[in-house]
Amino acid sequence: MMSMDYLFTITIPMLEGAKMTILLFLIAVIASIPLGFVITLMVKSAIKPVAWLANFYIYIMRGTPLLLQLLLFCFGLPMLPLIGEYLVLDRFVAACLAFILNYAAYFAEIFRGGLLAIDKGQYEAAQVLGFSRWQTMRKIIIPQMFRVALPAVSNESITLVKDTALLYAVAVPELLHFAQTAVNRDFTIIPFFVAGIIYLLMTLILTWVFKQLERRLKFE
Amino acid sequence: MSIVQVSNLRKSFGDLDVLKNITFEIEKNQVVAVIGPSGSGKSTMLRSLIHLEQIDGGSVSVGGQDLVKEGVYANHQELKRITSKMGMVFQHFNLFPHLTVKENLELAPKYVKGEQGDQIAQRSTELLKKVGLSDKANVYPSKLSGGQKQRVAIARALMMNPEIMLFDEPTSALDPELTGEVLQVIKQLAAEQITMIIVTHEMGFAKEVADKILFMDQGEITESGTPEEIFMNPKSERTKAFINYVLK
Ligand SMILES: Nc1ncnc2c1ncn2[C@@H]1O[C@H](COP(=O)(O)OP(=O)(O)O)[C@@H](O)[C@H]1O
Ligand SMILES: [Mg+2]
Repeated sequence: MMSMDYLFTITIPMLEGAKMTILLFLIAVIASIPLGFVITLMVKSAIKPVAWLANFYIYIMRGTPLLLQLLLFCFGLPMLPLIGEYLVLDRFVAACLAFILNYAAYFAEIFRGGLLAIDKGQYEAAQVLGFSRWQTMRKIIIPQMFRVALPAVSNESITLVKDTALLYAVAVPELLHFAQTAVNRDFTIIPFFVAGIIYLLMTLILTWVFKQLERRLKFE
Repeated sequence: MSIVQVSNLRKSFGDLDVLKNITFEIEKNQVVAVIGPSGSGKSTMLRSLIHLEQIDGGSVSVGGQDLVKEGVYANHQELKRITSKMGMVFQHFNLFPHLTVKENLELAPKYVKGEQGDQIAQRSTELLKKVGLSDKANVYPSKLSGGQKQRVAIARALMMNPEIMLFDEPTSALDPELTGEVLQVIKQLAAEQITMIIVTHEMGFAKEVADKILFMDQGEITESGTPEEIFMNPKSERTKAFINYVLK
């Protein structure tokens, strides 16, 4: 059973599944980071109701399991009275939405922490040089905030790679789905190991990418 | 006419009256040193001039224009215009750590004033030369000593061509052996007759460079005069005690 041929035959469909994993990861990261930043700005807003709304959003998203949110988006929304029939989304699309909205809340918290780390002297220096509030944010605060937040963003992104396995629960065929199918069919745990190695490869690449980014942005 | 006029300035933080009734004037090209015990309100006074603190009463005018008149502030645009006449140097430098020395200097002229690139580059080169840091143009602040950082901060403020420079204890965060190079730059500016207000604990420096000294104690200017008057013949016992204490 442990021939190269066998490994090959199970790995091909798993790589197919990994495509779905990677696609979800990319969509979620690319959309949730900017969205998370917008939420951070809302939390910081001087308009109180905006700040409350953003805080409430973060509370809900972080306070409930991602799996619950995923199930809600894939199966729950269509059950809503009146509007439900318009909310029958493709399951992958629904899953992407759930991931984006959930991760945006985590990224928002990370960026908030990044903002807190910036000395108030930076704002004061910017003010006396005549920068507007928006210029101060864009040219001085945000670049530093991203730098401070980078290790945490990296960490969260790695968690996201692994969380993509939750697609299994809503029957979108991704990496883990193919592994499980092979395990059941062939009665061997090898496919699980192969899946593990593929996840490790993905997180390894991601870690490397973030390390490069951190090195680039060392400001030394 | 005085370039800075402050009258009856009042400021409190909650219950604490930090500035009680500050009145003074500064002439163009004057160098004024502000001395006094720590906690007496020197920083708060300086910060009030450039609108880093909101005052509770009194008037501040700069270059003949009212920043605050009897407790009422000018509108946003006026405030910007009036405060842009001043440059400020902080105790802790507050350089932008994500930008090189050159970028630190050029960011404000570029985005605040919208000046031309070559014009800005020429000025930043000149000013870095002036503060003796021509070789550090492309270095990040993390690679500089405290004295070098403060000299960059001075050059950065000068990039905006301020009429008045404010210094809040520019050498207090520095190792003693690094204060000289910063004081040297400030002395050079004094020689060029730039109007300056300098909060400092360096009495020798204040004596040498200042035209006028303000002594602050518990939120008030209790004595002011030429360095000779303050250092040789202080009128109040408090001033005398402070001078004796710091010169010792
Ligand atoms: N942001 C602030 N909030 C509350 N109290 C402050 C604040 N800034 C300064 N103070 C208080 O005001 C007084 C004067 O402070 P400061 O102007 O920094 O004095 P100095 O510069 O002469 O040492 C001090 O008692 C200080 O604790
Ligand atoms: Mg002070």
